[in-house]
Amino acid sequence: MSKYIEKISRLFRIIKENGGVLGSVRTVFRMEELKTGTLVGEDELGNKYFHNPMYFVGRSRWVVYSDAAGHDYDGSQVPAEWHRWLSYISDETPDKADLPKYPWLAKHTENQSGTPQEYVPYSTTRPKIQAWKPKTEEVYRKHF
Amino acid sequence: MLRLWPLRQVVSSAGARFIPACQKSTAPEPAPELVEVFVNDKQVFVEPGTTVLQACAVAGIEIPRFCYHERLSIAGNCRMCLVEVERSAKPIASCAMPVMKGMKVKTDSPVTKKAREGVMEFLLMNHPLDCPICDQGGECDLQDQSMNFGSDKSRFTDIAFTGKRAVEDKNVGPLVKTIMTRCIHCTRCIRFASEVAGVEDLGTTGRGNEMQVGTYVEKMLQSELSGNVIDLCPVGALTSKPYAFTARPWETRKIESIDVMDALGSNIVVSMRTNEVMRVLPRVNEDINEEWISDKTRFAYDGLKRQRLTTPFLKDANGQLMQTDWESAFLAIARKLQGVEGSQMAAVAGGLVDAEALTSLKDLMNRLGCETLCTEEIFPMDGSGTDFRSNYLMNTTIAGVEEADVVLFIGTNPRFEAPVFNARVRKSWIHNDLKVAMIGAPVDLTYEYEHLGETVDVIEKLAGGNHPFCKVLESAKRPMVVMGSSCLQRSDGSALHFMVSTLANRVKAASGADAEWRVLNVLHRVASQVAALDLGYSAGVSGVREAKPQMLFLLGADEGAITRSDLADGAFVVYQGHHGDQGAQMADVILPGAAYTEKDATYVNTEGRAQLTRQAVTPPGMARNDWKVLRALSELLGVTLPYDKLQEVRQRMAEISPTLVRVGEIEEANFFKQAIEATKAGKTSLGKEPLVPPQQVLKDFYMTDSITRASPTMAKCVQAATEAESSVH
Amino acid sequence: MAATLTSRLFGQISSSVRNGIRRSYAAASGGTMTTQPGEEDKVTTITVEDKMDITPLTGVPEEHIKTRLVRICVPARNAMQSGTYGTRRWKIEFDVRERWENPLMGWISTGDPLSNTEVTFSSKDDAMAFCEKNGWEFFVEEPKKTSFKKKSYGDNFSWDKRTRRSTK
Repeated sequence: MSKYIEKISRLFRIIKENGGVLGSVRTVFRMEELKTGTLVGEDELGNKYFHNPMYFVGRSRWVVYSDAAGHDYDGSQVPAEWHRWLSYISDETPDKADLPKYPWLAKHTENQSGTPQEYVPYSTTRPKIQAWKPKTEEVYRKHF
Repeated sequence: MLRLWPLRQVVSSAGARFIPACQKSTAPEPAPELVEVFVNDKQVFVEPGTTVLQACAVAGIEIPRFCYHERLSIAGNCRMCLVEVERSAKPIASCAMPVMKGMKVKTDSPVTKKAREGVMEFLLMNHPLDCPICDQGGECDLQDQSMNFGSDKSRFTDIAFTGKRAVEDKNVGPLVKTIMTRCIHCTRCIRFASEVAGVEDLGTTGRGNEMQVGTYVEKMLQSELSGNVIDLCPVGALTSKPYAFTARPWETRKIESIDVMDALGSNIVVSMRTNEVMRVLPRVNEDINEEWISDKTRFAYDGLKRQRLTTPFLKDANGQLMQTDWESAFLAIARKLQGVEGSQMAAVAGGLVDAEALTSLKDLMNRLGCETLCTEEIFPMDGSGTDFRSNYLMNTTIAGVEEADVVLFIGTNPRFEAPVFNARVRKSWIHNDLKVAMIGAPVDLTYEYEHLGETVDVIEKLAGGNHPFCKVLESAKRPMVVMGSSCLQRSDGSALHFMVSTLANRVKAASGADAEWRVLNVLHRVASQVAALDLGYSAGVSGVREAKPQMLFLLGADEGAITRSDLADGAFVVYQGHHGDQGAQMADVILPGAAYTEKDATYVNTEGRAQLTRQAVTPPGMARNDWKVLRALSELLGVTLPYDKLQEVRQRMAEISPTLVRVGEIEEANFFKQAIEATKAGKTSLGKEPLVPPQQVLKDFYMTDSITRASPTMAKCVQAATEAESSVH
Repeated sequence: MAATLTSRLFGQISSSVRNGIRRSYAAASGGTMTTQPGEEDKVTTITVEDKMDITPLTGVPEEHIKTRLVRICVPARNAMQSGTYGTRRWKIEFDVRERWENPLMGWISTGDPLSNTEVTFSSKDDAMAFCEKNGWEFFVEEPKKTSFKKKSYGDNFSWDKRTRRSTK
């Protein structure tokens, strides 16, 4: 009996932690999941990282993407140092771990596929035809 | 040097002895003047005085040769054509030896083979073994003949390590690359320069092993035909500079096509690899270009890769031309044309347009109700104008020059307007003692001519019969009068044409040339003109200037004959063509078309001979064949043209003018009297200005149309020719 | 003796077999066969009126039968060389279809299976018959005639003609 009471009280706790009934509906709508856990950190993009060893390994660490991402979140929005913790490569969160910082480290960017900034493979062969450009016409003729 | 055939032996031996009993001759009884020769026991009859080599060719046997060339004088210095002749002490050089009665030539005997092997050994002794890096590799006479006739080993050991003969390379301009160590001293290039091209630039210095072919002092080979020495060179000593190290002959596809850089329609072979034109070579056609092509024809192909229109362009709201797709370009035209009357439209065709596109454009515009279709090149339309074909053709034909005895050039510089034709005139001048006279600015034609004056009053005097040169013209059996299309660009063009026609008719009547001989010739400058006139285009853009149209269609018109000021305010200009030049610059919509190497098309040359180009490469980007573009446009404009296939377009051309589809043939035009009678009404007065052809010196020759203007090689030629002008040599 | 006998026998057999085949072919193709009366074995001429058409058998897609235009010609001599061996044949050439560039190497691709076809013939008629058989439209380009011109080494030294050569 107490097992059921515990489950029900956990449900209420989760609903409370997620900001009441309305907040919980919103979270389910956005994340398709309701969980409880301790907030272990937040990255510069605003993603929040949670931990709860009650869940089985693999589900015990998770990220709640920043509200700025809206419904357009995906795994590539997790920066590399948090990816380290989130994927159980290390148990230390980035703020605890002594991660080296190099000046040449690039800022994290998410996957740009499907956006105008996406990578498109291009031909590496030299163009055989030099096309005419309306603007350069006068320059060209002066040249020759 | 040359041992004559032992004449005494021939004379002393009885004629009957030379007819072998075993010989079963099925040939009919020869005409008495022919000489009987036996080549490998095969009986052939040739004209007396032909060479042994030619007699062998008649018998179907090709003698290996380096220095001998059919269209050059005989040099006899390579010795590769040695053959054994019965009762001759030594092998004879067959290229220089005339045939004798009953001569027995053996082209496959051990003596002949040994002689060839010996010559080959000497040649290879001083020839570098650099075939793998030589541009001639794969199409080299020396390479092939050493495989066939050479020895399998060499006795050249170079024990002292003195090295092979090495000769410094010469710089002869931006077209011909020289690697003089490879030279085998055949002197073909020298003979070509002095005999065909008519420039005494090349020659030899030194003797024996020290002999060198060169220009004496470093200078450009100043000829419009200089590229032909590349073909003539049997080894890799003279190769093409723009083509250097780009392709091998076995990698390329050879497409037999027609040239459009001048109005002669020289036959060419386009070499294609990886959808690129790698080079252009001549193709033999005795009626037009023999074996030569001009440098513009040969080297302007890199212009086909620059400044190309690869997508349609459309002017946006800011007046900027922006790249677009076919659909929006067509829709923009259709929208603009709504409500525009046919009389408010006009079309101008340029000099590189094919007959199929001209036909489609004319049909399209006519369907829209427009009758103002012009060509950029002017030709007098008064009187009979272009109604009679004989008025605007080279009626004598190009090959006809070889039968002529007097040629009178009027207001033209054939050397640069039709270089291959000029070479033909020069050939006749050398071999047939052709008399040449010229009215117009004095220019260097590479042969001597009588300069009659610069102004048109000389023509008037000649036509009236009171000029000393009239005697020469009247005494001629086959006179020719060649009028340049360039001189008809003047405002008094029609009067000039009338005057020259009168002169030609008078000369014909006075000279007693037979009825079939035609005197009047027009030498056109652009490839499309004759086809356009055949199709009923009006020559010259004066009609457009009068109409001040709302809408103008430019089909490859790039010479700037029409500017915005000739049109109505805010007129809509459509340009269709292959190069971004003056036409594209003034257009509102640009439709990319195909250049002459990119389509199967018909061009009519200045003789009125229709010839077909073959597609060598695919048009770049979104560009399409011109008649197909016009066909597609017609559908959007609601006046669909009734042809879908090339054959159907050609059927339509045949309906308009059957001459356009009789490929390779000349339709004779002989209405000179009628033309003159019809012209009498519309006579205007002659101007006083001298006749000055636009291309006078070599540097004017290279850049004349949108393709050559885009060509870096032609730009280099202009620069080199300009520098050569100020050179001390 | 035996040899002549067998050859005569075989000769008879083969000729009768041949005649049989010919007759059946002529009958099937709607042609006419004329046999001189009374001399059945001697002279037999066959006129086949129908054109032979092998397109149902070749398996060539209809697109490449009906839309192709073939040019029958004698290949031009390479201007770079003096040999003429390559010009002693007739060849067929198809119209060119679109080619495009491969973005990796810059080589060209084409969707035209006939673009690499090179068939040579010993005569024009063979080439025409081949095209007819395969159902291709064709046109023939006759080779350009070359003129024979007598040449003389002596012209280089003539004193009254312009053919005289001073330089070498």
